[in-house]
Amino acid sequence: MSPLASLLRVRVNHRRRLLLGLSAAAVFLSLLGLLLSWLSPAIGAPLRAGLDFTGGTQIQIERRCDGACEPLTTASLQRRLAALELPADPGAQAPRLGGGAVQLLDEGRQVVLRLPTLSADQSQAVIAALEPDLGGIEPAGLGIDTIGPSLGAQLLRASLVSLGVSFIGIAAYITLRYDRLFAGLALLCLGHDVLITCGVFAWLGLLAGVEVNSLFAVALLTLAGYSVNDTVVVFDRIREKRQQLQGASLADQADAAVSATLTRSLFTSLTTLLPLLALILFGGSTLFWFAVALSIGVLVGAWSSVAVAPTLLPVLGRR
Amino acid sequence: MARQQGWLALILALAISAAALLIQFPLQLGLDLRGGSQLSLQVKPAGTITRVEREQLEAVKEVLDRRINGLGVAESTLQTVGDDQLVLQLPGEQDPSRAARVLGTTALLEFRAQTPGTEEEMAGLLALKRQTQSVLASRRARVDPAEADADPARALAADDLAQALQELGVEVPAGSSEIRQLELLLDAVNTRIVDLYEPAELSGRELVGAGRQQQQTGTAWDVTLNFTREGGERFARLTQSLAGSGRLLGIVLDGRSISEASVGPEFQAAGITGGAASITGNFTAEEARELEVQLRGGSLPLPVEVIEVRTVGPSLGAENVRTSLIAALVGLALVAGFMVLMYRLAGVVAVMALALYALFNLAVYALIPVTLTLPGIAGFILSLGLAVDANVLIFERIKDELREGNTLIRSIDAGFSQALSSIVDGQVTTLISCLALFALGTGFVKGFAVTLGIGVLLSLFSALVCTRVLLRLLMSYPNLRRPANFIPRAQLPTAAS
Repeated sequence: MSPLASLLRVRVNHRRRLLLGLSAAAVFLSLLGLLLSWLSPAIGAPLRAGLDFTGGTQIQIERRCDGACEPLTTASLQRRLAALELPADPGAQAPRLGGGAVQLLDEGRQVVLRLPTLSADQSQAVIAALEPDLGGIEPAGLGIDTIGPSLGAQLLRASLVSLGVSFIGIAAYITLRYDRLFAGLALLCLGHDVLITCGVFAWLGLLAGVEVNSLFAVALLTLAGYSVNDTVVVFDRIREKRQQLQGASLADQADAAVSATLTRSLFTSLTTLLPLLALILFGGSTLFWFAVALSIGVLVGAWSSVAVAPTLLPVLGRR
Repeated sequence: MARQQGWLALILALAISAAALLIQFPLQLGLDLRGGSQLSLQVKPAGTITRVEREQLEAVKEVLDRRINGLGVAESTLQTVGDDQLVLQLPGEQDPSRAARVLGTTALLEFRAQTPGTEEEMAGLLALKRQTQSVLASRRARVDPAEADADPARALAADDLAQALQELGVEVPAGSSEIRQLELLLDAVNTRIVDLYEPAELSGRELVGAGRQQQQTGTAWDVTLNFTREGGERFARLTQSLAGSGRLLGIVLDGRSISEASVGPEFQAAGITGGAASITGNFTAEEARELEVQLRGGSLPLPVEVIEVRTVGPSLGAENVRTSLIAALVGLALVAGFMVLMYRLAGVVAVMALALYALFNLAVYALIPVTLTLPGIAGFILSLGLAVDANVLIFERIKDELREGNTLIRSIDAGFSQALSSIVDGQVTTLISCLALFALGTGFVKGFAVTLGIGVLLSLFSALVCTRVLLRLLMSYPNLRRPANFIPRAQLPTAAS
């Protein structure tokens, strides 16, 4: 075995078409999901926006029941909400709650209401009005979230701006440490990872009604930093191999770097996925989709640093 | 060797002081973990002001601080956020509606004289107001309509109500109950009355104090006022000009008439002197208390809007603590198991470094202090995985060196020095994202960015210093100084070949 061949345990560049084809297909499916979601009249946006972005009030009520809770239907609660007349601030109209969503969880012990934006007074009025139907409320188990519509728009703007600033900051840093080609590739991988993660959630929104909230935005931003972290390790090795293997083709240099870093790429992704797995299994409902989004991002990020960046480098570097 | 022992002593000292710090200053839990309410208030530009400046935000905060103190809520905190927002935290508070009411209104109190020549219209409006109030009171008290309507003062036929609403230009949402229609009518009347007044002569700024007292007859409450010396003189001049003229003294709160008083001819000489007045607005005890608190605190220089209210019950918070604690422990155990399985002795060292990392991390939270929220804990758990990243990089390098036949000590040194550049590059990109999140995010997004950022910095220390020192320490025991403790024997180059 020649010295070079022993360094090429994994030859990603020999399967360039397959690997890039898989990524292209995933990107296409993601764009399709985002587009379908946008065209869907029920969603009307690339992702199904949750309370944090649309504004509104969510009330979570824990019923007080000894033993089994009395059976309850969402329809009866919805009728009660539709008939409810809320107190209004002077000069303002009180919202009507006919279109509100009612969800029963935990065998009817938990009731979750999704309503238009309500004032603190109005939220208390809703709870007071429903109390007889629910047969008692556990005050310690109450959760109320009210987000004004202007806050949702602010949050969306802040998320997009932070994502843009991270992109620019990371590109500048990699240009400084490596060169423009590497920076472009890192951003391409980053866009690939973020897009596919969004695509998965677009499909989840379309098929399972999963909504994205501000934690999803946080997950994407964390991903922006983490995914490049992975790619940079491969780049660092490619730079090293370029000096060690002068005379070898760029494709071979890249393959040698991937071969040398593959184990650690898999292992670092695994060590990040293990705590995320713990969050998915035990972290409770609030953090569930956050951990799912990050897990998808970490997996796609590992893929793009092993299969996308090193196979695109020889193609783009030749010009 | 002496240098190694110096580092080891430093790490031990840090670990002991971190533990002491955590015992001395327990971690602060956010409202989503301990239960309570959080209100976000947006300051809105008004009038000639198009942009909220720093000093205006501070002025609003000062007024709100006084109002919160007036409410007597224990351990509440009010902080400015960004350029034009404030966040109020009320630990343990389950019903934030009173705080929202008291803080969310401007509370601009004005004393205004009735414009001459409007007597007739005013008389009509006041009659309508009294009638509406009395019908509303009986409806709210659930008096049987048939019985109440027998008394003409309490009756307001449906046709008359509809006509009055139309004349005042009130839009009534379809399907509104009678009570709602009456409320809308009353509000419209109170707004219309203000149109019949001249500009304000005296405002709530001229107050030094406010109080409340129950009326001697009945159950309603009055709000009492004390003017500054200057305010008292103006009040005397204002009442003198109205005395005996038949025109009314209007008391207006946020553009709505709350009381209309006539001033008797006996005050023609000097007006009402003494610098005190009372508002007879037929308040309930709760309303009187809220108005008193607002007037004492002063009116807001700019209007505010409550844009976010989050309330978490204590048992819901306790549940959040429980689940995230389990997730953190399971996450730690999974990572530790993986490291020991894959890297043997080095893995054990990495786990010790990880434990130190977790300890230092929590100590820094207590020191800064960082208020722990649910997303913050998620950031901490995630950073457990990221913290061993650097260890994986180093250990893989050590394995590479061992496979090439280098000695153990040399491999360890080479592993650390060669992995350094990619470790630093990777962590810097994560830090860039953290900075963007911190600078542009608000509220809990900031909390997440802080915990993740601290995690990244400490993980560098943990991987580059703690792991190295511990590994060096173990290597001083000849029994442990064997390559097989780091890598399966089969992967080592055999000496014979």
